[in-house]
Amino acid sequence: MADESVENKEESTGAPEAAPEENAPAAETGSTAAVATAEAEGAEAAAEAEGTVAEEAAEPAVAPAKMIQPDIGFVREVIGAGGTDLKKCFQCATCSVVCNITPDDHPFPRKEMIWAQWGLKEKLVADPDIWLCHQCNDCTAQCPRDAKPGRVMQAVAKMSIPSLSKPGFLAKGIGNPSMIAIMTALPLIIVGLAVGLLGSFNPQRGEGEHAGQIVYGQFLGHWPIVDVFSTFFVLSIIIFLLGIRNYWVMMKKHASEEGSPVSGSGMAQVGPVIGEIAAHKRFGKCDETKDRKVSHLFILYAFVLLFLATVTSTIYTDFPLLWGGHGTESPYPTLSLVKLFGYSGAIAAVIGIGLITINRFKHQAKVGLGSYFDWQLIVMIIVLMLTGIGSAAFRLANIGVLAYPTYFIHLSTVMFLFIYAPFSKMAHMVYRATAMAFARTAGRDTPM
Amino acid sequence: MADKVLVIGGGISGITAAVEAAEAGLETVIVEKNPYLGGRVSQLYKYFPKLCPPYCGLEINFRRIKQNPKISYFTLAEVESISGSEGDFTAQVRVNPRYVNEKCTNCGECAAACPAQRADDYNYGMKSTTAIYLPHDLAFPMRYVLDKSACGSGCQACADACAYGAIDLNMEPKTMEIKASSIVMATGWNPYDASRIENLGFGVIPNVITNVMMERLAAPNGPTKGRILRPSDGKEVKKIAFAQCAGSRDENNLPYCSAICCMASLKQATYLRDADAESTAEIFYIDLRAPGKYEDFLRRLQEDENVALTKGKVAKIEEDAATGDPVVTVEDVLGGGKIRKQFDLVVLAAGMEPAAKGVKMPMAVSFEGNGFVDGDGLAAGISVCGVARRPDDVSTSVQDATSAALACLQTSARALETAGGN
Repeated sequence: MADESVENKEESTGAPEAAPEENAPAAETGSTAAVATAEAEGAEAAAEAEGTVAEEAAEPAVAPAKMIQPDIGFVREVIGAGGTDLKKCFQCATCSVVCNITPDDHPFPRKEMIWAQWGLKEKLVADPDIWLCHQCNDCTAQCPRDAKPGRVMQAVAKMSIPSLSKPGFLAKGIGNPSMIAIMTALPLIIVGLAVGLLGSFNPQRGEGEHAGQIVYGQFLGHWPIVDVFSTFFVLSIIIFLLGIRNYWVMMKKHASEEGSPVSGSGMAQVGPVIGEIAAHKRFGKCDETKDRKVSHLFILYAFVLLFLATVTSTIYTDFPLLWGGHGTESPYPTLSLVKLFGYSGAIAAVIGIGLITINRFKHQAKVGLGSYFDWQLIVMIIVLMLTGIGSAAFRLANIGVLAYPTYFIHLSTVMFLFIYAPFSKMAHMVYRATAMAFARTAGRDTPM
Repeated sequence: MADKVLVIGGGISGITAAVEAAEAGLETVIVEKNPYLGGRVSQLYKYFPKLCPPYCGLEINFRRIKQNPKISYFTLAEVESISGSEGDFTAQVRVNPRYVNEKCTNCGECAAACPAQRADDYNYGMKSTTAIYLPHDLAFPMRYVLDKSACGSGCQACADACAYGAIDLNMEPKTMEIKASSIVMATGWNPYDASRIENLGFGVIPNVITNVMMERLAAPNGPTKGRILRPSDGKEVKKIAFAQCAGSRDENNLPYCSAICCMASLKQATYLRDADAESTAEIFYIDLRAPGKYEDFLRRLQEDENVALTKGKVAKIEEDAATGDPVVTVEDVLGGGKIRKQFDLVVLAAGMEPAAKGVKMPMAVSFEGNGFVDGDGLAAGISVCGVARRPDDVSTSVQDATSAALACLQTSARALETAGGN
């Protein structure tokens, strides 16, 4: 569309003053009012983002007039979602320089800061960089204006989820602190119904070798668990797959509009991206919050181990011939693979979530404690760990009055994480990986 | 009692206030901490708006001081306390020993005989002087001074070498009382300590210097006799970078704009460009502030194809181990990429910090948030001018000093009125 010389200058105007004021008339009428700016090049970027066609000037020598259509509501949302100091940014670009994770080509987060100030939602949602950001917050620590670019990036990433994971209202609900009661009720009801209909709220004690002991299988049996949880797990995977497709299509369109089209499906990058995640190379490049690499790795592998525990439990129960044992329901022998995976996963998770929580407080002064979005997941993982360990402990201590409620909360927490995975902060594992694959496909990867 | 103005600080603002007030008929006395008058301006190579050497303007002012019997001044002097009110202030002033009296002829025999060295603060530590030294070529008063803290114990080589009996190693500090009807605070500024800017390598990478050091490098009476040679190896600088807002407009350092750094860097780019046609300069900025008439100067630099103006703040400087060259990392905001560039020398456009900030004041002074004196919060009869009040360039400070002189005249007029009424 526009000629090259203009394209190259896309983000030339850093003037935050050009951002529409919240109380401007545009705010009253939503995004319909267009704000004309004298900054031709900056407006160029804006016009492109909105997909609006810039008016062509009659005289080729005169720069065409440009209109931007800011989404004022979006600007307010970013501020509300944790990007509180967004408007302090004056586009000095310290952030992009101190970021060790950004590609050199059109680095983040400076450009995202002005897009957010200008309310260019379409541009941001289709931007791979909002998920490529690993929240090191080196930018936040060094920002000369205390505009906290790291938090803005996270707020924007969070706000992009409704456009990626459908139905979007679930993402909006899970991201909204005032909705937490309703959002928590849903997994409780699902698990409650499962126990009520398929298990028993008044379970019998075990028999035979487990005589008189608590047997959670009597509360909710193996097959009901597999059926109910797999259903929601598979549902989340489908939502994720559709989300990945949405994001990929949007990123491709965005890249074409930016003048650097990307071809390829990204499938070739799946292996390298998984390898990179497994080693957490990018986390290792953070300066300010270097210690996040270890804590996050613990959590990652904790989830891998706990997933393996779940898988092996199914093998134990349903495919006894594979391991030469006898088909059995829980509780499994203490030295079985299920338990070894489960216990090591639990230990890794306790260490990981403990470190994550400690680190948050350690870095509070320079990068802040984090948002509701962060703490929701941290708290859920803490609840998951406490109830998981509690369930095992109360079972071994044979205290039914504590064991069953604890186990119920534990199952509900797992359900919470399953159903909200594509909508909560958990979504980062998929969309960040997608963004990494896209960046690699586009050849704008960060040198490691 | 005679109308007397006490001017605290003998830089360009203080000198101007004193001269203007005296030429309007008031007695004035300047109290200056340094052993010379002229302050920061005397350390500049060229200054705005005419790009002439400040020595020229200072020389005129020194002549006005010498010719005017109403002006007196004390160097190496500090105001310790002030009491009283408008029309009747009493100041206690401590005068530190110079160890050199008025018999000094500047022959330099003392320095030739001196065995001890001290860091030359006038040249921001880029060279050293002997313990007895002439502050600079046009020092006013033109007289040597001894930094006794640098002397070896019992050494009196300078006194022995002096043929005029000008050196008195037993001089003691003196305290005196000055009565004044009005007071002008012209306490000026210090360059921001650039080593506090964590990411720019000042103090670690030798070829990263500050803008005030660049003035000394370019000045003919500076450590390199006006040749722009870099500190690490004395190599002639061909490729220079300026990092704007180094520590200014930065919540982690100085939150305010120091007002002069853009013009200073544009000016300093001409030092190199005028000296060497092959040289190149690149100025990295957030936005360039060249207000009013200064825009013409910016345009002149924009037209020079060996001067690049790149939008993007330098936020990282590393040293290339092999060459000692500083390597800057910048996001070229207009170009769309993060770039790393190697230079012979990087100049940090560091800001100005008010000298009165954090210093115990001899009287009640209110400061605004950044440590500049809040003129509205001063008692009647006391005014403030120059960079003590806000970051400004020389010509604006001079105008500000003139208005401070006017305030003194108004105090004087009020006193006359009261006297007439009695």
